[in-house]
This record gives sequence, C-alpha cells and structure tokens, in this order.
Amino acid sequence: MIKILLVSENNNNTKKFNKIFDKNGYEFSVMTDETLICDIISVDPPDIIIVDAEIPNIKSLNKKVKSLCENTIIIFIISADRVDKELIKYANAFINGEMPEDLILSTINVNLRMKNSLDMLSNSNKDLADSLYRLNALYSTSSQFAGTLEKSKLIQYMIEGMDKALSFSLTCTLSLCTEDEPVLILNSLYELSDELITAIKLRTVLNYNSVFEGKEVPIKIDAENLKVIKHIKYPASRFTFTLFQYDNMFAPISLGDNFFGCIEIFKETSFTPEDATCFQTIAQQVSLPLKSATLYQEIIETNAKLEKLERLKSEFISIVSHELRTPLTSIKNSLDIMMSGRCGEITPSADKFLSMAMRNVQRLSGIINDLLDLSKIEAGKMDFNFAPTNINTVIGYVKSALSEVAKSKGLNLLTEETENLPVINADAQRLEQVLTNLVSNAIKFTPENKTIKISSSIISYKDIKINEYFRDTIKLPEGDYIQVCVEDEGIGIASKDLLHAFDKFAQIENSLSRKAGGTGLGLPIAKQLLEAHKGAIWCDSELNKGSKFCFVIPLVREAANIN
Amino acid sequence: MKKILIVDDEQDIVESLKFVLEAADFICYCAYNGEDGLRLAKEIIPDLIILDVMMPKINGYKISRLLKYDAKYKNIPILMVTARSQEEDKLIGEETGADEYITKPFELDEVVKKVEEYLK
Repeated sequence: MIKILLVSENNNNTKKFNKIFDKNGYEFSVMTDETLICDIISVDPPDIIIVDAEIPNIKSLNKKVKSLCENTIIIFIISADRVDKELIKYANAFINGEMPEDLILSTINVNLRMKNSLDMLSNSNKDLADSLYRLNALYSTSSQFAGTLEKSKLIQYMIEGMDKALSFSLTCTLSLCTEDEPVLILNSLYELSDELITAIKLRTVLNYNSVFEGKEVPIKIDAENLKVIKHIKYPASRFTFTLFQYDNMFAPISLGDNFFGCIEIFKETSFTPEDATCFQTIAQQVSLPLKSATLYQEIIETNAKLEKLERLKSEFISIVSHELRTPLTSIKNSLDIMMSGRCGEITPSADKFLSMAMRNVQRLSGIINDLLDLSKIEAGKMDFNFAPTNINTVIGYVKSALSEVAKSKGLNLLTEETENLPVINADAQRLEQVLTNLVSNAIKFTPENKTIKISSSIISYKDIKINEYFRDTIKLPEGDYIQVCVEDEGIGIASKDLLHAFDKFAQIENSLSRKAGGTGLGLPIAKQLLEAHKGAIWCDSELNKGSKFCFVIPLVREAANIN
Repeated sequence: MKKILIVDDEQDIVESLKFVLEAADFICYCAYNGEDGLRLAKEIIPDLIILDVMMPKINGYKISRLLKYDAKYKNIPILMVTARSQEEDKLIGEETGADEYITKPFELDEVVKKVEEYLK
C-alpha cells in the first residue's frame, strides 16, 4: 500500500486530503511534530510526504527529511501564487488546497511512477556494482591461484576469495590435501566455543560423508580426532548455536576422481542466487591448481625416490663387488694351487673340471670389474688420464692381444689403418678397453673362416653417417673426428634389438650371448667411456650378415699440434 | 732365507699366499688383523710385507704409512692387496708409501714373481 504522510496544522487540508486518500486506498497519516516526523521517516519511510508550506519550522524540517530519505517524494501545499525559492530545491511538485481531487490524485500518481522508475534504476545500479565487485574478486582470486603450486596457499586464497566476494560469517573448510591428515580450517568473524566447534566438526564430517553417499570415502574421518585450525577475526565476541540458523552453502572441492576437500559457508543474511554461483565457481576454480600442485608434488617425490635409488644402487654395487672379490680370490687361489700340481697328480678329468671352475671364476671377476667400472662412470668417479694418443697404436695393441684368440677360432683379424693420423686427447687405456670389447664381441659372434676388420680414418662432421636408430640420441658438435670401425661377418643384430644394443644387460639373443660368455655390460661401458671422451658409438647391422660398430672421438686442435 | 709377513683378515687368502710362498722357499709370518700385523712387523722386521687394505681396527694404508715414516722399517717393500672398493677409493687420496698394488682377485704366480723381484 502506498504510504502518504501529511504535515499540516490546517484542519481543512487534513480533512480534505484524508477524504481523498481514504477513498482511493492509500495509507494516510498526519503529523506535525518535527521530532516525531523524523523518527517515523527513519523507521518506516513514506512514499510521499505532503508538506503544508504554511507550517512555521518548514526550513529545518525540509533539511532533515531530505537527509533522512533521499528518495521520498515531497509535495508542498501552497496557498498563494507566489512560490518560495527555497522550497523549489526540495519540491517534487506543488499542489493547491483548492485544486480539484482529480488533479491532486494525478499529480500524486505521476510522482509515484517517477519514484518507481528511479528506484528500479538505483537497484539495477546497485546490482551492477555488486556484480562488478564480485567479478573483480573472482578475477583476483583466480590470478592468485595461478601464482602458486602450494596447496595450503591455494586453500587460503580460496577462503580469502570467498570472503572478498561473499563476506561470510564463518567458513568451514575440510582439507584432505594440505597436511598428512585431514584438517578442518575455520575462518570465523567471532570466537567459537569448544562445544560449538564439536558441533561444527560433526556437521562437517556428515557433509563430507554425504558427498560420497553409497560409495567408499577416500579417507575415513573421525569427527572426534579431526584436527582444527582456527582463524578468528574479532576474538572479543562469540558466536552462539544460532549460527546454525544462518543461511549456508556447501560445495565439494574436487576434480574428476581427485577429491581435495569440501567447504561450507555461513552468513547472517541470505545468500542470493548470484552468491551461490560465485561460491560454486571459486570452489571449482581452486580444484584445477590443486590438481596441478598434486601432480607437481608427486613428480618431486618421485624424483627424490629415484635419486635415492640411484645412490643405493651405486653403493650396493660397490659393496657387493668388494664382498664378492674376497671370496673369489680365495677360490681362485685354491684352484691355482691345485692346477699347478703342487698338491699331487691331476687326472685329465680332474683337470677338465678344475679348468671349468677356473674359467667361471675368471668370468665372474670380469662381471665384477665391469659392474664396478659402470658404477664408477655413472657416479662420475672414474679417473681418466687424458693425453695425446695415437689411435693406431691402440689398434696395434688390441690386434696383437687378440690375434691368437681369433686364430684359434679360425678367424681372420685384419686392420686397415689410415697412416699419419693426428693424435687425439684421450685415455689410451680406456680406448683399449673399448676396442678390446668390440673385437672380443666380434670374435664371439663370428663363425669360422670369416673376417674381422678394424679400420681407422679421419672424418669430417658432415660425412659421419649415423643410421636412423641412433641419429636422434647422438648429438655431435661440428668439427673433425677420428673414426674407428670394427666390422665382422657374424650373426648380426635384428633391427628391433639395435636400439637396445648399448643398454645395460641387454637381452639380445640371450641364449647365445650366455653361451659366448658375455657380461652384458661391455657395450654400455664402451658407450659411457666414449661419451666421457665427447665422442659417440653406434652400430650398423644386418641379421646373419654381420655387424659394424663405429665410434668417433673429436680432434682437438691443440692436441693435433702436439704431433 | 727371506722372511715375509702376510697381513689379511681373510684367513683363506693368507693360507693360499703362505702355501705358494713357502713352496718358493720363503719363511712366512701371518697376521689376521692390522694391530697384530703392525706388532709383528716391528718384532720380526720382515724382508717384505703383503698387506690387505680393508681390515678392521687399523687399515692397510695406515700401517703402511706408519712403517714408511719410521727409518727403521721404511726400506721394507710393501705389496698392497686391494679389492678396488669405494671405501678404499676414499682412503687412497692420502700418501700410503706402498711399493706395489695387487688387485683382487690376483694370480698367485704373479705375486710370487713380484716378491722374488723385490727380494733379488
């Protein structure tokens, strides 16, 4: 009902307006006392105030009315034709006591319509400002989310964002992701008693369980032992149990199968649908960075685990090889003594088995040496004696050391050295180890009456031909290189195995390599040794035709000059 | 006859070394830990010492250093037996004074040959 207040001491006016407004269904009241008028305006503002311009204290009354309710329509009743200029400042309209009823009513209605439009405009403005503010809060919250991978910070930013956008009385955030155990974070305007906290805990656990209705909860939470973190804004005041009558909203914080927690928010006044949208948006927004943070944490943890494993492995290899060497030495010594015949005559069959034991002792000690080498290289503890080295000298050593073995297997070991090669900066002993390994492999895997060829040459970066299997993993800087190749006519390596030829304990032709007595570590050691020389090794091979292992070592200008 | 002191906490290794060295006409004294080894070295003043690196209480490097700093013993050749372990690598940075290193597992004949070379 439209409320009209008349301020007049003129009984004629009062009677006349009373009649008009009563008849037309307005709520009409009359007052004259200034203080009373002010009281009623501030508590229950009328839509229209009609003021008799004749009342004595009109000036002060006008000021007060305007300051108390800006939007109220003020209409003055004037009797003379003359209008006081002072009144125009406050007036929405003027009427005259002698005016016909219709005219008075239409004046009132025009002003009421205008007031309605103004009210609507002012409300939409307010809504717009609210939305803008909320949008700003959302924006600043989401940019905060993007700035961190720390889960406790993300939860904190979420709560701050809610406060900015919704200005809550209390939020109860159950977080499963910030600490080892679930934790209830309470952000409250006022202090909470222990009883109230107990009630909140129970309520939160109920909410949590309801999220997983019919399914198994990720972690069973016991309300009694739930850890609580309190942030109280005004600790001097206290909330009571009426808190539970406040308006509230609830949302889980989750992404797909990842559940991070849930949040319940309380506010004394009601939440609007916009508030609800905003609340859900923030709760959803925080889950994505929480997921990233979880993944990030997992990566860090995995890395730490891997590092530890790597260290343990190195230590393990070192200890094991030391512990193996000592008993192996005793076995070997005993065999040596027996085979020397110093303990008595040896029958041919005893000799056969003693030799067998000896062969295997040597094989075992070869494996231990390889393991130690590899763990040393991988740990960066291998010492290298870099010096100007002539690769052909190294080839010469290896040839003379292995030509007997090759001959005994009926193989032809050839060398094809390019003469007058410049020296390289290398550890000759390690290169000998690499080359010995390559040639021994060739001897092992090549059948009788075939040829093994060792060649050396100088090659420019652009002429190095690395096949498709190794091209991606080998990165060499431009320059000149010394290339050494060991080519055999043996069983070859299937293309599917070629990629793994330099892996530790590679399972290529497993049964055969076992028969040939390989340790499975020779090639990975060769690869690591060459990489320590800033060089590379790769292999071309065709099954049943043969293999060609090639390695390159860069020529360094200073080293070249020493020659 | 020349006297040789063998110090190793691994009795089996001592046994086999003793066997081949006695067969090569050396007199062998044995110690199974560093402390006994050091005491025995000072007592009998051997012509050569075969010394294991990793031993409880006093390791081989320490014994070697102690003897080599002492004018009375510094001319005794020391053959050091090593298992090439990482713990040994940590110790090797220090000056040991050993004359020769033998890596486990070793050839007994080679050890005999080396001993004979030093005692020619």
